[in-house]
Amino acid sequence: MSSVNRQVSVRQLKVKKCNTKCRLIVFATLAICLVAVAVFADRLCPYDPYAQDLSLSYQAPSAAHIMGTDAYGRDMFSRVIVGARASILSTLALVCIITLVGTAVGTISGFIGGKVDAIVMRVSDFFLAFPGLVFALAVAALLGGGVLNAIIALAVISWPKYARVARSQTLSVKVSSFVQAAVLAGDNPPQIIFRHILPNIFGPILVTAMLDIGTMTMELAGLSFLGLGAQPPIAEWGSMMSSGRSMLQTYPWVVLSPGIAIFISVVIFNLLGDTVRDYLDPK
Amino acid sequence: MKGIKKAVAFAMAMALTLGAFTGCSGSKKEPTNASDDGKKTFTFGDTTFNAENEEATIDPHEAYCGWACIRYGVGETLFKFNDNMELEPWVAESYENIDDLTWKVVIKDGVTFSNGKACDAAAVKACIEDLVAVHERAAADLAIDSIEADGLTLTIKTQEPKPTLMNYLCDPYGCIIDVESGNADGIVVGTGPYVATELVTSDHLKLVKNDNYWNGQPKIDEITVLTITDGDTLALALQNGDIDAAYGMAYANYPIFENDDYVFTGTPTSRAFYCQMNYNSKIIQDDAVRKALAMGIDKEGFVNTLLKGYGAVGVGAFPDNFSFGGDAVSTVGYDPEAAKTVLEEAGWKDTDGDGIREKGGKTLTLKWVSYPSRQELPLLCESAQATLKDIGFDIQLNITADHGTIVSEKDGWDVYAAAFVTASIGDPMYFFTTNCLDDSPKNRGGYHSDELQKLAEEMNVTFDPEKRGELAIQMQQQLLDDNSFIFCSFLRMSMITKANVTGLKAHPSDYYEFTADLDIQ
Repeated sequence: MSSVNRQVSVRQLKVKKCNTKCRLIVFATLAICLVAVAVFADRLCPYDPYAQDLSLSYQAPSAAHIMGTDAYGRDMFSRVIVGARASILSTLALVCIITLVGTAVGTISGFIGGKVDAIVMRVSDFFLAFPGLVFALAVAALLGGGVLNAIIALAVISWPKYARVARSQTLSVKVSSFVQAAVLAGDNPPQIIFRHILPNIFGPILVTAMLDIGTMTMELAGLSFLGLGAQPPIAEWGSMMSSGRSMLQTYPWVVLSPGIAIFISVVIFNLLGDTVRDYLDPK
Repeated sequence: MKGIKKAVAFAMAMALTLGAFTGCSGSKKEPTNASDDGKKTFTFGDTTFNAENEEATIDPHEAYCGWACIRYGVGETLFKFNDNMELEPWVAESYENIDDLTWKVVIKDGVTFSNGKACDAAAVKACIEDLVAVHERAAADLAIDSIEADGLTLTIKTQEPKPTLMNYLCDPYGCIIDVESGNADGIVVGTGPYVATELVTSDHLKLVKNDNYWNGQPKIDEITVLTITDGDTLALALQNGDIDAAYGMAYANYPIFENDDYVFTGTPTSRAFYCQMNYNSKIIQDDAVRKALAMGIDKEGFVNTLLKGYGAVGVGAFPDNFSFGGDAVSTVGYDPEAAKTVLEEAGWKDTDGDGIREKGGKTLTLKWVSYPSRQELPLLCESAQATLKDIGFDIQLNITADHGTIVSEKDGWDVYAAAFVTASIGDPMYFFTTNCLDDSPKNRGGYHSDELQKLAEEMNVTFDPEKRGELAIQMQQQLLDDNSFIFCSFLRMSMITKANVTGLKAHPSDYYEFTADLDIQ
């Protein structure tokens, strides 16, 4: 009886894994499409996103301008597409930076241990003690406006999360027998970190990073919305929503177009992150 | 089981969402203008009553706070401008220019401060003396030598001929206040129909009616002026009924109020939106750059499209309802092709093909500063940024409430886009003395012109209004020929009120708002 049950549950598990794989392929494809739009934005725009033509001001969505135009007569569809570059590529760059820095710090700190570990972790506690976006606002205000400064501001506050994950994983991998064996075999610390530790802690860090993309898109757009990220006339979803927000009642397409773009990309990246987690960690 | 759980979770999420929305609609209250004890109340929303616009308090002897003092019916000046910006009696009944240096002003009998004290010549003398002692612009504007008070007669002697002394005394800083009552918390005692009771800078001002008002009975018992810097909040507040009238509504929101429930009151004003050049900047010192800037701003598009026609295109410093304004002067028009030629001839060329011109290793990048509380400015700046980019300028916008700090640094900026009421005292000299001369407090860019200085000296001793007008034309032309200022447009000042509000009328001066006639049905 119990063996039948077990067979069923194994089959269920297999089916689930297959489902997860299908989902992973679907969401990964969608995410790749988004990134492709960002990369090839220049070629996909039907109009120059920065060309002002006041005679076309506030045109409602039509066949010529499927998302309408803004106060300056600029085509919203073109601006949303070009905005993908500032929004999505910046987010990906940001997530790459914090993943690399956070993982490096966490792994080294966990591997060396002792005083170094204590100091590094207290520093990361310091950053974690502040509410994220508020701290980022302070840093961005200090650095001044601009997409690059917004990325720096968010990077400064976000790396400790990765350091924490990498450190805890490193601590558990460090005491495993294959690492002990490598030490006995005479591997030096960099060899151990690169050959034995990093490959084994890669999964949880990848999952953290994937789940973070959506959040970071929102936070980057948030900073721009508040005027601390992209500066005019740069097309960036957050700043486009900010400059269009007074038109929500009169010309809603000016604010809804970038809003929908943010919504769609955040949903796709969040679903992708969830699926990656399910795939790597099927429990 | 799992399905039921999911359904329950979904239902709960929906319920929460619905709850959030009903919460919103539930907060909408029926507008009412009578409080429980039967008092008439009125709430006004204003985007510009804040420290950013140098209106931190309502003490007229401080920066531009006199504007709030006079707008909200707390203070009154000796004379009042009519719709043609000519002087009419107010606190004073008449004046006489005895000789070049002596003026006699007779105060109206029966004028009292809101604390009941009589407003006689002695009180006015004390007020003007305090004004001259503490205000940054008044001492130079008025050049007062001595004041004598005798009953209701005030004799003012000036150090030099001051043809516009009476006009200057009617600037909002000339509100007559009872200086003996002090200015605790920025609140002063004036002669107007309303009395300030509570002030929180950049937040709100509470007023009650002045039962001792000398010129009629104010009809509203309590007024609250809310500083609402954000245009959307202002629009929503008016739609909700949280406020009864609004000043500074975003143009994009005008269509919401173009119906029978609301009334627009508007009038052309001399509030100019202009660009001031910083002569401390090496690039700006280049005549060709300034000329190209003047040619690269699409003023007509800005007024007709971005301001939806609520404004007038600017040429010189004054609008065309003044004899010395409008087309009395001339300047270069919007002409991108000609601007490109001007730059090309001056050696500004795009050598690396990035669309931005360079000369001697320097790119044509300008730091352009402005502020958001005048909602026209960000529109002007972003529109200019786009048109100037076509010509080869790289305009780096910095639109911030902290503009004052930035423009006070010599090297922090190249172009400053701002708003200024150029003929607020009905006379042209005010604009020049404040912004363009060597000793002007707001000559931020260090502009200097020998010719302008000479003309200003002549204007200072000219009493004939016609001759003053001619001088004003020459002085404006000098500014335009130097391209030291670019005048883009003039504001059509508009207030939007609910249909049941009466007695609130826009005035060309842009600073008379609340009077004893203000009422709500």
